[in-house]
Amino acid sequence: MKSFAADDDGTMGFQIAPMVDVVFVIMLFFMVMAGAVKVENELSTRLPGSAESSSAAEFTDETIIAISDEGEVSLNEEPFDTPTSADLPQLRSTLMRLKENADNAKQPVVVTIVSDAHAKYSRTIDVLNALAAAKITNVTFNVDEE
Amino acid sequence: MAGGGGGLEKGEPDFQIAPMVDVLLVILIFFMVITSAQVLNIDKSIKLPIAPDAAKKDDSRSEAIVNVRWDAAANRSAYNFQDKLYYKGSELVGPIKAAKAYGDRIAATKPGQNPEFRIVIRGDRDVPALFVSQAMNAAAEAGVSDISFSTVNHD
Repeated sequence: MKSFAADDDGTMGFQIAPMVDVVFVIMLFFMVMAGAVKVENELSTRLPGSAESSSAAEFTDETIIAISDEGEVSLNEEPFDTPTSADLPQLRSTLMRLKENADNAKQPVVVTIVSDAHAKYSRTIDVLNALAAAKITNVTFNVDEE
Repeated sequence: MAGGGGGLEKGEPDFQIAPMVDVLLVILIFFMVITSAQVLNIDKSIKLPIAPDAAKKDDSRSEAIVNVRWDAAANRSAYNFQDKLYYKGSELVGPIKAAKAYGDRIAATKPGQNPEFRIVIRGDRDVPALFVSQAMNAAAEAGVSDISFSTVNHD
């Protein structure tokens, strides 16, 4: 009697259909995993260093963003958003307007973040993220150690 | 007459399984590669903060990674730099200087690449800002002024 998967001489033939099934399953697995993959990104800053003495120093208005130990964010001493808001929509839109105005006036925007020593680091990243969304790159980071 | 492209005698094209397997394998390899592209020399115990607007990581430069761990139970932080643990920011200055000297030597052999050495800080999202600031101070003392903070795009 001829068996289901064997050739006439008794050897098992290579079955392509189950292989396609398996490949399909593995492919679906990787497709699903590809959507969930975490990508590590970066937010850059430069430490304030020694200015080059050959160029004339320009003094610009400095914007200070303070972060309290409770996570409250304030821009030039005016509180923005709630301490639990990670998106910081008010701060973000204000920074975007600030950047737009500064660009029109051809002035750089200089921002200093002053964080309370016990404030969570994630809050600093929330603020840096809002600054990145507003395309502000001149950012320095400071911690109030008192 | 049988067609050259796999047609039957009736003229209808036959379903060809071999090219389909070829295509499936290529798609499979594509998804395998993009899933495993993130081979990171990272500290798995750190939960990175989320920043959807952060820029893509610049992998072309010489850099060193400072991991800032946070142990909530013991209420203390630890710096993991090149697989060694440090408990004070000031202890990082020497190792960062050594890493910078090595990075600068490597960068000198690769013309056309941005030669500036940088420090990437991978801080836990719950660590107090003070400890991140101490790592930045150590980088400044070691002569590195270019600092990046690592984040993830989603949880």
